[in-house]
Amino acid sequence: MSKQFQFKSVSEMPMISVSLGDMEWNKTGAWRTQRPFYEDKTPPCSAACPAGNDIVAFIQKIAKGDFEGAWNIIKEENPFPGVCGRVCFHPCESKCNRGSFDEPIAIHALERFVAGFGSRLSKNTGKSGEKRKEKVAIIGSGPAGMSCAYHLARLHHDVTVFESLPLAGGMLRMGIPSYRLPREVLDRELSGIEALGVKIQTGVALGEDVRLEDLKNYRAIFISTGAHRSRGLQIPGEKEKGILGGLDLLKRMNLGKRMKLGDKIAIIGGGNTAIDVARSVIRLGKKATILYRRSREEMPAFAEEITEALEEGVKIRYLVNPIRLQQKDGLKRLECLRMELGEQDESGRRKPVPIPNSNLRIDVDHVIVAAGEEIEASFLPEGLEKKEGIVLTRRDASTGIKGVFAGGDLTSTQRTVAHAIGSGKKAAMAIDAFLEGKDTEEAIVQHLVGEGPSLSIFRYLHPGERPRNPHIVPFEELNMDYFELAKRQEESKRRVKERIRDFNEVTSTLTEDAVLEEAGRCFGCGTCNECENCYVFCPDVSILKSGGILSHQVDYDYCKGCGICFTECPRGAISLKEEAK
Amino acid sequence: MKRVITGNQAVAYGVILSRVDVISAYPITPQTTIVEELSELIASGRLKTKFLKVESEHSAMAALIGASTGGVRTFTATSSHGLAYMHEMLHWASGARLPIVLVNVNRALGAPWNIWGDQSDSLSQRDTGWIQLYCENNQEVLDTIVQAYLIAETVRLPVMVVLDAFVLSHTAEAVEIPSIEEVDSILPPFCPDYPIDTQEPRAYSVITTPDYFLEFRYKVQKAMEQVPEVAKKVDDEFKARFGRGYGAIERYGKEGAKVLLMTSGTVTSTSRTVIKKLVEKGLSVAGIKIKRFRPFPSEEICEAIQGAKKIAVIDRNLSAGVGGIFAQELRASLYSREERPPVFGFVSGLGGRDITPELIEEAIQYTMEHPQPEGDIVWLGLKR
Amino acid sequence: MNKVKVPIAENLGHGHLACAGCGAAVAMRLTLKALGEKTVMVFPASCWSIVPGFWPYSSYKITAVHAGFVTGAATASGVRAALDVRGDDETLVAVWAGDGGTFDIGLQALSGAAERNEDLLYICNDNEGYMNTGTQRSSATPLLAWTTTTPVMQPKENPKKDIMAIMADHHIPYAATATIAYPEDLIRKLEKARSIRGTRFIHLFSPCPPGWKMPSEQTIKISRLAVRSRIFPLYEIENGRFYTIQEETRVVSVKEYLKIQGRFSHLTEKDIEMTQRNTDDAWERLQRKARC
Repeated sequence: MSKQFQFKSVSEMPMISVSLGDMEWNKTGAWRTQRPFYEDKTPPCSAACPAGNDIVAFIQKIAKGDFEGAWNIIKEENPFPGVCGRVCFHPCESKCNRGSFDEPIAIHALERFVAGFGSRLSKNTGKSGEKRKEKVAIIGSGPAGMSCAYHLARLHHDVTVFESLPLAGGMLRMGIPSYRLPREVLDRELSGIEALGVKIQTGVALGEDVRLEDLKNYRAIFISTGAHRSRGLQIPGEKEKGILGGLDLLKRMNLGKRMKLGDKIAIIGGGNTAIDVARSVIRLGKKATILYRRSREEMPAFAEEITEALEEGVKIRYLVNPIRLQQKDGLKRLECLRMELGEQDESGRRKPVPIPNSNLRIDVDHVIVAAGEEIEASFLPEGLEKKEGIVLTRRDASTGIKGVFAGGDLTSTQRTVAHAIGSGKKAAMAIDAFLEGKDTEEAIVQHLVGEGPSLSIFRYLHPGERPRNPHIVPFEELNMDYFELAKRQEESKRRVKERIRDFNEVTSTLTEDAVLEEAGRCFGCGTCNECENCYVFCPDVSILKSGGILSHQVDYDYCKGCGICFTECPRGAISLKEEAK
Repeated sequence: MKRVITGNQAVAYGVILSRVDVISAYPITPQTTIVEELSELIASGRLKTKFLKVESEHSAMAALIGASTGGVRTFTATSSHGLAYMHEMLHWASGARLPIVLVNVNRALGAPWNIWGDQSDSLSQRDTGWIQLYCENNQEVLDTIVQAYLIAETVRLPVMVVLDAFVLSHTAEAVEIPSIEEVDSILPPFCPDYPIDTQEPRAYSVITTPDYFLEFRYKVQKAMEQVPEVAKKVDDEFKARFGRGYGAIERYGKEGAKVLLMTSGTVTSTSRTVIKKLVEKGLSVAGIKIKRFRPFPSEEICEAIQGAKKIAVIDRNLSAGVGGIFAQELRASLYSREERPPVFGFVSGLGGRDITPELIEEAIQYTMEHPQPEGDIVWLGLKR
Repeated sequence: MNKVKVPIAENLGHGHLACAGCGAAVAMRLTLKALGEKTVMVFPASCWSIVPGFWPYSSYKITAVHAGFVTGAATASGVRAALDVRGDDETLVAVWAGDGGTFDIGLQALSGAAERNEDLLYICNDNEGYMNTGTQRSSATPLLAWTTTTPVMQPKENPKKDIMAIMADHHIPYAATATIAYPEDLIRKLEKARSIRGTRFIHLFSPCPPGWKMPSEQTIKISRLAVRSRIFPLYEIENGRFYTIQEETRVVSVKEYLKIQGRFSHLTEKDIEMTQRNTDDAWERLQRKARC
């Protein structure tokens, strides 16, 4: 459209130097020595999410008030937002770049809100009548098994889950008290998976009711039987009657079995199970004392859980270690040694060292041992390789037996809900690739979030739709000019007096206003949210708005490569490279 | 309607009759009574014109450049230092082909300070691309302003109308003032070529490379070359309508005279009486009045001087290092002709000193007595 | 974070000749967006005589009248008069002048127009020097800055002229400072100015990458640091009397602003301390004015 003029004769020219045309013909892009381009980079939160949630994407939907959109994004990767929003230890938040500015985004609280919103949406997924491709068996209905089942069902496979207990949910149901995870939330998310056509057979135990050989008509099997066995203390008197494992106690309570418990209860251990047990028995009106051999700093339980436990009256004795257990007149006597902290051990924590002759005795009604869990290997099929307490799998979740995959707590020492969910998703992708005759390892590697191990099944399902640069955006690549200090929204908690009276949920969901505010705090690292800075600040009118996923484009005909868009992008979604000459 | 008015009042009447839309001016002696008169006329409602009372002559011309670009008829008046201060903008006005009319009341430039008549101010602007018209009396002042708009708006060049300080500007004479309707009948409203129109935005006076600048200047020259014909037509129509015409030059005195005296401005009036007297005495002398200085009326002059053996020029101006400017221009015009009578360049009356009949006679006498002038300049009335 | 909202219209076209990262090009683009097509803009000599392109082209999509260096306010007065005569009171007449064309050579014409309270919007695009001619000092160049006529052996000996105080003392209806890092503030001020009659003045601060010896991608950053360091506070003055300051909550030291510009690279710690003191004093004075 731009016309260039060439006057051969003075008579062709106008009387005065009035403009006759524009400068569009002058392609100033030729001046450029560096080239800006949009890139969908990886935010640190997503890279840190073991479940592979597309966190920035769903928060941006929330920020626009599109809660259903947020729900759909979360559900792409994770069938358990209600669970994760409550019980996940949210490593995403500790990696959140906003933490270097003021406080990290309350990602878990946003996820929890969206889950609540999603639960009110119509459940008609309409997938149950669909023709299925291949039959897949899943052993264990915990978060790993159910995540695997969910994704396989979405990949149109015919999935059956076998669960030894009478109720599905695995550790989610047996290990987590309902004041942290209300059962209706869990049930809702499990039935959401069932609604996709997943069949769950409860009361069927591997090795007892069903053996691997019986599952020949399944083209693939995923074993996710977890780690349920309480690890002992290896001290004299431990095997006596009345000494309970922490997880066993929780399981009994969660199955609704009545128990007789004395008044004073000692819990040994410093992990989440110890805290869960202590807080549960407090709710039964008992006195709970946790004995831990290191100090609070080294406790593996989540800091917030410890705080809540202390608020609720749980006592914690640090730097004590039981060395002997005796029974006397119906009472249990724990003989302990005081400890002090020495050198760092391989876990990075300071090692407890006994102080000689510092023996002390503690008399209680019950002792609960919650010093960690280990896998139950007795019923596992032969041919699974095991090492240091876990079943070994390859990068694609496969085992030594063809068609048999494994995941969850069974195969990892990182025993969290999110890791289990991620592990189930990985197995689903690998199984799908396996059944499709594709390279399973490649299927995993191609869909890592950042450098992994988190995975994006969205990209597995929609290849090419949203290519992402694995580069994880560090804080230094963001432009803090565009962000104001803003307080993190915290979920409110019930008053201590009230919450120790029952097993109802302690924290409540954020309000819609708070959620919008919190979502507005998100930097959106590496992801264009159409803030328009690049467009507004371009001196050369060279930012085109196209409306795709990368909604803006650079008009290279005119872009002079000044780099303003690169600098002024608040979230590092624009990169700059040397122009090839 | 006949009235006894000063030259500056005649200017004001010219402005009224030409239906000027925008005036922008800054006061300077001896122009001040023009802006005073115009202010009075506007304040009394007799003149519906916007008057920008700017803070300098530079701004006065700049404002008119803006207004004329905006497509309306514009006017300013100044003098001496004021005109010199406008200099840069005079170039701009002609380069932008804006038909602005400016009245300059001739006055000397300092130092030393001097407020009296001297043509050095307007003649210093001879290379700015403006048409320059010099007036002999107050009637001519009024008539020339109307003619100036007609010429300017036809060839798209600005016009400077020049009158002498005090002798015209502050001296009252009887002037026939035509009715505005009569003037309307020959002066149509200004119709710009490229009026500002935000519906069709364009850029004006866009920077132009060597590739085309020459061509734009060529067009200015071509416009200047149209002036003799256009001005003649305007003058003829004016004469037909009002009975008064002026021409580019006017020859008076003896037919076929051997000695000619060339003047401009009010000196011409004095020269008329001197030459009349000398012709009556039997001398072969005649006078030439130069009205139009730019473009210089070479053709008309060369025709008018046929048969003359000598030409005397009285310049009330000085281009130091060369001499009188009219004499220079005349010499340049004659160079390409076969007949090249010697030009006697008299310089006189600078800074407002009277050029008396005696001095004029002395000049003619000198010319008759000398075969050639003794130098490029012959000083007239110099205290030796 | 909210979307930045600016009018969609593009009245500065592609292909213009501004240097890469030109702050004034950002400013021009935003300004023309805000003012719209019913604008006649007068351009006394500055980079903006060249940037839009050579005849027969122009990148301006509004009416542009190029004018003599001295004459911004005067030429605009004339255009305004012509439009008034033509009965057009809708079209805005604006001036876009550089700091040289405003603080220095154009000041007389500006003062004249402001005293007459001409109905025009005068925008001074301040890049603190004669950049179009290759970075010579103007009276808008800050104290101690390098320019080609204030070499580092003898950097600028005089502080920057306080043009806003000068304009305020003309008691014009509206004067405001603005800069490109705050586009919404800039557009709001332009729109406000557009709605007022009489002389309006916008002191628009536009970093110049080559003239300030800074990387082209830092243009917006520096504009923002100028405000945050209070080197260039954002404020408005109504009728020469009523001051409103748009205060930046995040204040930084002048050093943050100075250190990324090559034109200040010769400054000693003492120089920087002095600049900080001068800036603090000016801020104090401005606040005092705002309090009255």
